[in-house]
Amino acid sequence: MKRSSRQRPKSSLLLYLFVIAALVLSAWYGRTRSAPDIRPHLQEIYPEAASFTVLEGVYAVLDERGETLGWAASGSANGYAGPLQLLVGIDTTGTVSGTSVINHRETPVFWRMVRFPEFFSEITGTPFEKIDYSYEDVVGVTGATRSSDAIVASVRQAVARVAGERFEVTIPIPIPPWEFGFFEIMIMVLFAGAVASRYLNRPMSQGWRWISQVFALVLLGFWENSPITLTKLTGFLAGWFPEVRTNLAIYLLVGGFVLSVLIFGRSLYCTHLCPFGAIQRFINLIGGKSIHLPVWSVKLMRKMRDVIVFGAVVTALAMAQPGLAHYEPFAALFSLKGSMLQWFLLLIVLLLSLIMDRPWCNFMCPMRTGEWALQDIRDRVARTRRGSHESRERGDQT
Amino acid sequence: MSFFTSGLFWFLEGVLFCIFILAVRAWAEDRSIPMPYWKWISLGAWVFLAGFTLAFVGTSFGEGEPAAAIRGGILFGIIVVIAGAGLWRLLKMESSQGEEKLATETEE
Repeated sequence: MKRSSRQRPKSSLLLYLFVIAALVLSAWYGRTRSAPDIRPHLQEIYPEAASFTVLEGVYAVLDERGETLGWAASGSANGYAGPLQLLVGIDTTGTVSGTSVINHRETPVFWRMVRFPEFFSEITGTPFEKIDYSYEDVVGVTGATRSSDAIVASVRQAVARVAGERFEVTIPIPIPPWEFGFFEIMIMVLFAGAVASRYLNRPMSQGWRWISQVFALVLLGFWENSPITLTKLTGFLAGWFPEVRTNLAIYLLVGGFVLSVLIFGRSLYCTHLCPFGAIQRFINLIGGKSIHLPVWSVKLMRKMRDVIVFGAVVTALAMAQPGLAHYEPFAALFSLKGSMLQWFLLLIVLLLSLIMDRPWCNFMCPMRTGEWALQDIRDRVARTRRGSHESRERGDQT
Repeated sequence: MSFFTSGLFWFLEGVLFCIFILAVRAWAEDRSIPMPYWKWISLGAWVFLAGFTLAFVGTSFGEGEPAAAIRGGILFGIIVVIAGAGLWRLLKMESSQGEEKLATETEE
């Protein structure tokens, strides 16, 4: 079942070139698609608007007689899966006329949870200097904190732009504090423990893995619901990097994943820190069975997984919507939010876990595709270095 | 009044439940599986959970909430199946221990 580096099929250079070209092209297409039309959003905020002019990023909205109705400016901030852009209108008296979301890239399930219409209706009609930017109004029942933060930051940015340009009032844009606490420390401890356990004897190493997975399940799963997702990775591939200060945990996780594969040849995130991998292991422990599938079917399923992941990433990049690549059932399990497909995937995976060793990790997880690609790069670099070293030695001998 | 809210339904359910308990007892006796109180409590808790899951799904559908029925059914269904598998293994483990003990006693 386990695929060692020697058994791994050697990817041809052409396949690599094809994959890289497809990713680059789709990302380029996604980023250079025509800019969103602002007019309908201005019309939404100012229904009687007839025309508008732009000066230094601030739209002056005019009625049919050419009189200024008010101003509007866009604000943008990085949400969970990419930048979010919205428009805020402020009339000539300094009161907020309305707000409109121009575009966003958030996962639909989580976007629905954010109570931004309530926040927008609350600030509409309020003088811009008295806007309450408290997060509690925006965050939904639970989760979706990144999207909520992005909405608040975008509103503040847009208001600051109009206030500065038209009212000569400076609205301070606060720099978010570093989010470094128990959760981030635990991620570092778990990674460090995973590295150290490689040098322990087998029983101790396995013992540490179980302990680590209990922590991972509780902390990364049920507490924070922040396993690495394809949406997040696609956002990185698209060049949308979230604010480091408030997203240190995801950088630690992705960095740990990439470095562990490049240094040790296997992902320590998958073996020790993935909460979904942990729950599959625990269920398999209860089931007590581990059926083995024929090698051809394992190979076929892994190839299918790679193709699905590739298709999902290319589509998400081309549409500039990383949330489209979201198919993992993590949120359904850890925060009880998910589409019907994700709920059924969860059902199938967890029931299969009773009789199979981590079916999601082995056949469906997009992280394994990433791990495989990184392993292949590592092997190629090692082979090249070995080849150049040998040829240098031969040169010395001659 | 539908069948599921009639007295007949609850009467039949009671009969089935009694048969189930008697069947479990007979099954354990046939295999020399000791059934201490904690096993009966575990089994009762599992039956309650399974019944709750069925009731949740049925009532949610009845209330016109198919999405809740499916999601709740999947979530509780997974818990019921996994807990059932664990309980089954627990019973079987005791059973194999009982058989080993019986074989040792016979040899002696």
